[in-house]
Amino acid sequence: MSAREQILARVRAASGHASPAPAAFVPSARRSDFTAFAQLLVAAGGEAHGPFSAGELAARVADLCRAWSGGVRVLATDAAFARLGDGPWQPVSTEADPHTLADVSVAILCGAFGVAENGAIGLDGREAKPRALPVLCERLILLLDTSTIFPDMHAALAGLPDGALAQHHFTFVAGPSKTADIEGVLVLGAHGPRELAVFGVGL
Amino acid sequence: MSAALDRRALELLPAGPRLVSHDAAVFALREKRDAAGRSEPDFERLRDYAREAKAHALDHLDGNLERFEARATAAGAVVHWAEDAPALNRIVHELLDARGARSVVKSKSMLTEECGLNPYLESRGIEVVDTDLGERIVQLGHEPPSHIIMPAIHRTREDIGALFARELDVPAGETDPARLTEAARRHLRGHFLGADAAITGVNFAVAESGTIVVVTNEGNADLGMSLPPLHIACLGIEKVIPRVADLAVFLRLLARSATGQPISVYTSLVTGPRPGAELHVVLVDNGRTRLLADEQHRRALGCIRCGACLNTCPVYRRAGGYAYGYAIPGPIGAVLAPALGGTDERRGLPLASTLCGSCSAVCPVKIDLHEQLIAWRATDVPRGRRERVLARIAAAVFERPALYRIAGRAARWVWPAVSRRWPGNPASPWLAARALPAHPGASFRERWRACVRGADR
Repeated sequence: MSAREQILARVRAASGHASPAPAAFVPSARRSDFTAFAQLLVAAGGEAHGPFSAGELAARVADLCRAWSGGVRVLATDAAFARLGDGPWQPVSTEADPHTLADVSVAILCGAFGVAENGAIGLDGREAKPRALPVLCERLILLLDTSTIFPDMHAALAGLPDGALAQHHFTFVAGPSKTADIEGVLVLGAHGPRELAVFGVGL
Repeated sequence: MSAALDRRALELLPAGPRLVSHDAAVFALREKRDAAGRSEPDFERLRDYAREAKAHALDHLDGNLERFEARATAAGAVVHWAEDAPALNRIVHELLDARGARSVVKSKSMLTEECGLNPYLESRGIEVVDTDLGERIVQLGHEPPSHIIMPAIHRTREDIGALFARELDVPAGETDPARLTEAARRHLRGHFLGADAAITGVNFAVAESGTIVVVTNEGNADLGMSLPPLHIACLGIEKVIPRVADLAVFLRLLARSATGQPISVYTSLVTGPRPGAELHVVLVDNGRTRLLADEQHRRALGCIRCGACLNTCPVYRRAGGYAYGYAIPGPIGAVLAPALGGTDERRGLPLASTLCGSCSAVCPVKIDLHEQLIAWRATDVPRGRRERVLARIAAAVFERPALYRIAGRAARWVWPAVSRRWPGNPASPWLAARALPAHPGASFRERWRACVRGADR
């Protein structure tokens, strides 16, 4: 018998199939506006900007890029580029070898949605390409439609975009990369982005 | 209390500032967990739901595993099955070897600690770099992790500064956590960019979509999953849950219980490989089916490895993780070790508890940890000879009221001598890290009688 058969046989013998599935969890009602979301994002060490109108967005994002990086390598995904138009950023090639992204100072991506209860942004793998871009960059900017904020994780996972779980990854990002592994002292910028800014879009 | 645990605890954390700082650092996590729970109105209901959802998932684990395998395979992952630790280690090594992978970046996985994967691969010439900062610290110091989410919590910043001065490019005397972290970031970047493969653990796996869920704060698992062409995920079979909807409940509980955060920084839902890369998922039993078949203890398989029971445990806080001598320390480790740990000494770990029940009170999936420790004690938990003799004497005394009174009087008489450390006192090692309170001078009965007489007057 293969390992698979053996393990499954043992599991089958031990599975009673008697416990019922719990009835769906009904979360408490909570706010799902940009202000509520921003509060949790800031608590997680991120920055919230806006919300801005589609017209003024690009100028504000460019301001931050300049403040952060002085104009060195800034890359935007196709969707972000389409939103922002020309600016101090270049479109990223989705076919790029991820190792060539090691010196990206700022990456700009579009978030699929926000989650008000924890300040997380959902990144759809079809947009967050190459996969390494939002973790290898020194600083990360995410654009978020203020109309796409879910109150909690229940709503967020129920509202995943079609096909989100039929492709490589869907990632929730809540704040800049962090660690507290030295005596429990919080340090931002462990491996991934040192700073994260979310720009709300839609007034 | 297990004698071996006591001995190791004293070696690692002798009474003094190091013990105080370990205790403070882990209990701070417990307090953050409490604050997060209080500020989340759903928290207690989530715990109730999680308990039911885990019971349901484990009770239908056969179907969940088959569905997970089918969906993950359809999404392009390759699923392997490992009965025990040697099988996991062999499968992982074969995958690496067949692709000529020599350099591996690894993110935290308690399962691979349990199975001894790192030493297995290293002895076969593969460089394994732990990338979680705490894990890298203990790896550079040639130690195992001492906590399941804070692997280097037993080390002070001075220890880590000295270690980094020796191993990395850090000036001697550096103790600032931010600068030490920065040095590790630079050092590990190089390893990420040069890696041939990544190994990760898995926090949850979802049967209905064939998805594995990997959670970190540092982003190290995500860097591993996004750079080299091969990703091997090691997954304990108990982690498979049926539905994405249940994932919301567990994700809301995990970080709140671990560190007090409402969610960890990175939560990646991975279904199938990155385009142009390979994803292999190894499903590991290693004793889990034994626990599953044990009605008394199967609930321990519901553990989501948050570490809350460690942070609150009076024994863990003062003894430190190494004292347990098992990859998973603390109350949950003492419950799992008799089934998964193998050795006699590990089977004795259920004795290393005060049974105060604090662990059960904080568990996000409401595992009745202290009840499980009691249940293990009723089985053939190995005890030392001295402990067996003492237990027999205690039982004889407790059964005879007259003897009990005499023994009490005798104990009060010898108390001043026994409660101090002096050469030849058999209690001296125990007293090295503990202080006994002064004796009240009279038994409860004597004091009660005096009290009644006083009231009569």
